[in-house]
Amino acid sequence: MFELLLAGIENVVHLKYLVPLFLGTLVGLIGGALPGVTITMTIIIVLPFTFGMDPLQGLATMTGVYVGGSAGGAITAALIGIPGSPSAITTTFDGFPMTQKGQPGRAIWLGIWSSCFGGLLAGIFLIGATAPLAAIALEFGPWEYFSLFVFALSMVAGLTEGSLVKGLLSGTIGLAITIVGFDPIMSVPRFTLGSEFLRSGFPFLPVLIGIFAFAQLMTDIEKMNKSEQTNAPIKAPPLTVSHHKVLWEIISRPFLFVWSTLVGILIGVLPAIGGSAATVMAYDQAKKFSKHPERFGKGNPEGIIASEASCNANVGGSLVTIMAFGIPGDAVTAVMLGAMTIHGIQSGPLFVSQHPTIAYGIYAAYLLAHPIMVLICALGARLFLRVVTVPKSMLIPNVLVLCVIGAFALNNIMEDVAVLLLFGVVGYALVKARFPLAPLILGLILGDQIEVNLLRAIMSDPDPWLFFTRPISGFLLALSVGSVIFALWQHRRQKGRVKESEDPDF
Amino acid sequence: MTRDGIAGLICLAVAIGMLVLTRGLPQSSFVPIGPDFYPRIVLIIMVVLSVILIASDVLRKRKSAADTPTGAQSPAEKRNYRLVGITFSVFAVYVVLLPLLGYRLATLIFIAALQGVFQPPHGARGWILLLVSALATTVLTYVVFEHYLSVLLPRGNWTGW
Repeated sequence: MFELLLAGIENVVHLKYLVPLFLGTLVGLIGGALPGVTITMTIIIVLPFTFGMDPLQGLATMTGVYVGGSAGGAITAALIGIPGSPSAITTTFDGFPMTQKGQPGRAIWLGIWSSCFGGLLAGIFLIGATAPLAAIALEFGPWEYFSLFVFALSMVAGLTEGSLVKGLLSGTIGLAITIVGFDPIMSVPRFTLGSEFLRSGFPFLPVLIGIFAFAQLMTDIEKMNKSEQTNAPIKAPPLTVSHHKVLWEIISRPFLFVWSTLVGILIGVLPAIGGSAATVMAYDQAKKFSKHPERFGKGNPEGIIASEASCNANVGGSLVTIMAFGIPGDAVTAVMLGAMTIHGIQSGPLFVSQHPTIAYGIYAAYLLAHPIMVLICALGARLFLRVVTVPKSMLIPNVLVLCVIGAFALNNIMEDVAVLLLFGVVGYALVKARFPLAPLILGLILGDQIEVNLLRAIMSDPDPWLFFTRPISGFLLALSVGSVIFALWQHRRQKGRVKESEDPDF
Repeated sequence: MTRDGIAGLICLAVAIGMLVLTRGLPQSSFVPIGPDFYPRIVLIIMVVLSVILIASDVLRKRKSAADTPTGAQSPAEKRNYRLVGITFSVFAVYVVLLPLLGYRLATLIFIAALQGVFQPPHGARGWILLLVSALATTVLTYVVFEHYLSVLLPRGNWTGW
């Protein structure tokens, strides 16, 4: 394994991969730092640029975006008190007060170094855990796969805030989108309404881009007022700081750091819930374990460390799920999964053994992205604040154009762009109806796999009880029932306090 | 009926419509389960969930009417739905124009138009800024994608460009 990893690093260090990785990390940092541009948005913007690259170049770029984006949120969060991405909200709680006390350098570098170490620690987990998990998954038959996917869906539907019925319905809508097109056994076209284009089903990436991009952008546009357009340039304070002291502040709190990282990894491994859940939970945990919980929210370094370490550890965790099982850990990895399939790579338990060069290349890119991220921040953290002043009126049209290129360039057909628009409307309507989008995306991704495995299972043995009597499959199905019951119980307990957001949850 | 109920009704209608479509699907003589097997499961689940959503909405309505007639909405922030409608329309026009005018012309018009909608330009400086940024994006994306990333962008049927 170490030889493979070293070979992977040796491979990625070549300029051919290092340049895309560097650019990806840079764009990720900028996207992460820009309020209103989430990491998902950034990766959608970057997607069309990767079509012409070789698979590893493309994936290295996206890994860079992911790592950079997770750290970038801290910059604006700490310096101007506005989270650059949703997952950085908890960094504003203590980062901004610290800046106001005249220690902007300490605030930002605590964030960056915690991100870096949290991410690297998660990297060890990523490399160590993927292969064993994939090995377990290799033992799976179609029954187990079916049950695993059902479990993933029900858990995500239950975990999302708001109504359980809507979460489940959202997941079902995702599944319903995938039943359009050829059936997997006899290739009978279904629900195509005579359309030649729909015979192969709705194309995955245009649907995904449409739902995510429009749900996000239109929600921003709703809040646009003519008055807020005149953004005054923000003056960046000097960020000089003693790095020894900052590093010591992190190292002298090993329990806090490791625990936050573990929380981040765990949330990352769980499918389709991402960074913001991780940071909120880690921050909450840090507060609970702290001897001085009253100091939180007033510039406590522990708050920044917990938030940022878990944020980047979440990236490593998400990558585990996608590499070992082919299930995306969140929206960003969903787009990466789509990009992999474009390059003809089937993710899943066979991925690591079938494509070791790419798999270890991704590990290497992930590990290298962290020092690159620190380097870029050291060179230009203050410059990122300039980018923040780009008005949304300029940003949104450009983002939409890149979405169109992303949808079109896949197959060079305009129908894909029409699908983008159609699902843009659907995604926005769902957000307005306060449906969580994460289950829908997961249903969309897993739909075909669920059907194929269900049919395979029944064709190899028509006994439906096998889904329950095969131990792993039965256990997974029991877990999915359990997760729904748990969600019901939790909702009942919080009755009246359940908040449904009208903003997209990613 | 609130948003939940309406959303539920739409989901219900779509699911039932698709269920009707599964009736015409051919069956195979040597495969025990046909191409309609899995879709029906998904759609029936969708029907059940939609009905639950509608029912809970109607029941909650009755309950909350009995308690206090408070709307769930807070009037704290006014949302600019007009702008959303315009953005969708401008984007739809762009999608239609793209294959007719070609990427370069359509994108130039789209960016200028949308940016103009978001922030109406004031005076000559505003217009110049608008056109320059639209032109810059168009040229930059075109050059980068066509020349460096081997991504072909749409050509116009009308313009051939």
